[in-house]
Amino acid sequence: MWNRIRRDGLRLLFLGAMTLGAAFIITSSLAYFDFQELPPFAIEKLPVRFSTLWLASLRVHVAAALVSLPLCILLMTQMVQRRRGIHRWLGRAAGVIILFVLVPSGAVLSFDAKGGAFVTAGFVLSDALVGFFMAKGIAAARRKDLVTHRRAMGHVFAQMSVAVTSRAMLVALDVGGVSPDLAYVVSLWLPVVGSAMAAELFYGVRHSVARSHVRFLGRMTHGLSKVVRSLRPRAPARSVVGAGR
Amino acid sequence: MVQRRVEKGLLEPLAQKERERSRFSRARMPPQERRVRVTQAAATLDASGRAYMAFAVDVRRGAEWHENDFVGCAYTQTGALFVKRGEEYRPAEILLGKDADVAPNVCTPSKARS
Repeated sequence: MWNRIRRDGLRLLFLGAMTLGAAFIITSSLAYFDFQELPPFAIEKLPVRFSTLWLASLRVHVAAALVSLPLCILLMTQMVQRRRGIHRWLGRAAGVIILFVLVPSGAVLSFDAKGGAFVTAGFVLSDALVGFFMAKGIAAARRKDLVTHRRAMGHVFAQMSVAVTSRAMLVALDVGGVSPDLAYVVSLWLPVVGSAMAAELFYGVRHSVARSHVRFLGRMTHGLSKVVRSLRPRAPARSVVGAGR
Repeated sequence: MVQRRVEKGLLEPLAQKERERSRFSRARMPPQERRVRVTQAAATLDASGRAYMAFAVDVRRGAEWHENDFVGCAYTQTGALFVKRGEEYRPAEILLGKDADVAPNVCTPSKARS
């Protein structure tokens, strides 16, 4: 147990922080489902274009995130990854919610993001990364290419984790006295780019190492089969055919 | 008097609401402090002939004060408070989470007098 904690310390720490962050998000997001009151985030956005569509998208997005973030955390645990059936079904649920609810509603919201075009670009980038890698990850899983699947889902989880890291940064920057407008931009872009880089570093490197291992094993098998063939006694008919050419 | 009305009717309930809400959110962090400035020396009459006075709310973040975090108006007779969101005025309860529609023709001087 201790060895496992030591070996997987960073991973467990990250998953623990994400679980804690997700719990905080769920608690603070309950205000979005009090239909008698406007949530603080919506109040400060007023007036907003197409306010009914915007508020509906916000509620749908929050609901989708509240389900898909804990699902993603579960899917990244070794306990669920070892149970293929559970992993597959939870993955399907997460994939459907993320691709058909979270990403489209996020795209609608991003065009009215507070902070202007630069913030919109940050949300669109994060949304696009989630959509692209989720589609890629699903396709890879279907053709049983687990190396590509792992890398793609690493990117999806990394962008999902922005919900937690970004809010944590907002709190930290507020304590540090940074102006809210600057804090909002920094705490969006830094986690989006940082998470993409971390995912690529962690899963991309492993991905290429795994790929090179596969190539190396392939070459080894090919070489060994040649050796085995050369060791096989030649049939007399073969030399006759050869002589006849 | 207007200052007291805005403090009691808006800033205190707003501060109370902000104390209750989680900070782990994308919503703007509450300021350390707010203050009201009444920006008119005398009341103005709107199109319906009702007297109002404009106010501005400043916020303190760290050591710095930021002016005009939001502006609004208070009706001197009824005590009704309105805040400006974009180009429109809405009842001040909107800042406390109550869904309130745009209030037309409030906090705007009557055209004949302007």
